[in-house]
Amino acid sequence: MGIAAHYQRFRKGDWVKVKHLGKSGHVRIPFYVRGKRGEIVNFCGRYLNPEDLAVGNTAGPAIDLYRVKFAQGDLWPDEGIPEHDHLVIEIYDHWLSSAESSEGRQ
Amino acid sequence: MPSGNTIDDNSYENHEALVVEDDAGNLEGQIIIDALQEVLVAHGLLTAPEVLKEIEKLESPGVHLGAKIVARAWSDPDYKAKLLENGKQAIGYIGITVGEAQIIVVENTPKKHNLITCTLCSCYPRSILGQPPSWYISKAYRARAVREPRKVLAEFGTILPDDMELIVHDSNADMRYLVLPEPPKNLADMNEVEMELLVTRDRLIGVSR
Amino acid sequence: MNNRNKSENSPRGYHDIGGDAAGAIPKTELPWLHWEKQTEAIRNLLGDGTRRIVSLDEMRRGFESFGAEKYKVLSFYRRRLDAMIDVLIEKQVITREELDAAISKKRVVWSKVARRETP
Repeated sequence: MGIAAHYQRFRKGDWVKVKHLGKSGHVRIPFYVRGKRGEIVNFCGRYLNPEDLAVGNTAGPAIDLYRVKFAQGDLWPDEGIPEHDHLVIEIYDHWLSSAESSEGRQ
Repeated sequence: MPSGNTIDDNSYENHEALVVEDDAGNLEGQIIIDALQEVLVAHGLLTAPEVLKEIEKLESPGVHLGAKIVARAWSDPDYKAKLLENGKQAIGYIGITVGEAQIIVVENTPKKHNLITCTLCSCYPRSILGQPPSWYISKAYRARAVREPRKVLAEFGTILPDDMELIVHDSNADMRYLVLPEPPKNLADMNEVEMELLVTRDRLIGVSR
Repeated sequence: MNNRNKSENSPRGYHDIGGDAAGAIPKTELPWLHWEKQTEAIRNLLGDGTRRIVSLDEMRRGFESFGAEKYKVLSFYRRRLDAMIDVLIEKQVITREELDAAISKKRVVWSKVARRETP
């Protein structure tokens, strides 16, 4: 059995969007970033999926974990937050889709 | 739906700031954990000496370890670079064993300030700093730190210039965070022990500058 | 401006409070009590490499699913204790009956101590 090459989907600076996965149960992606668009800050490594671990499944695949940076103004549009303030949070690969920068800000 | 609390219930969820056990509650907690430990020991899953040893291990880290890391980074640019590159490894180099998967050290600069929170529960670099302060695990901090961090900082007496970038880190997954505060202006006159004295827990979390 | 339950396809956990409005941050530093340390210690041991009986994520799932009311009224460490117990029972590592029996015995001991101590 060969070892599949690990294909890391995103690189620093890529624009991504957090998916609405519709998952119930234990997830570590807070509601306030769902559907939001941000920028990959760094690749953290591969870790077991907490969604699996929460139900005692330690045999699942390790998932790529990224830190993603969001403009606070995009997360909280009504708050009058300075444009240069940001929030960075860790998002697992399966919660991310690619977002072209030409889409423009939300 | 908000729970049946009629005070202020059209304004917000009315999270109880911090639920504190009274004496009866603490006694109850002690009774239950003692009973649980007894059952687990009876099942051969734990021993009482192991539990005591683990408690000692939990008690030993503290802000003094964070201070040591920061002082070393302030005094040694090479170490600082390693720390920012791979926190867990660099912290290991100075004899501190990190239990968490990775430590991300975020650097404050004259233009940038970092603040750490965990909105989902209370993730904190416990193997380095010990237990987080009560306010860090309060619902008020968890709820507000991401949305109105400047107001939260003001409650701690920290006012940031408007043109400074404020970055909030929500510690939601496998990483844990330490803020590397800005060094003092008279760094060159200090030894590491003097530097360590300047490093407080609140600076390592980011509610103080 | 409460869009907490705004429809999207996922339910939002009651623990998922980032962005909710809340009051002043309580600054009182609470002591870390022995039972709380014991709770952490036991969870750590149960989750360690030799046992893997209750992981951090299983415990989190525990307190994320024991109900909003309970989550609201329990203190931080009591939440973790109750969640750990729920997981242990769910996984049939222990039974509710044997735990309750052990708790009753402990209560008797403590009430005797309390009676001795009150003049």
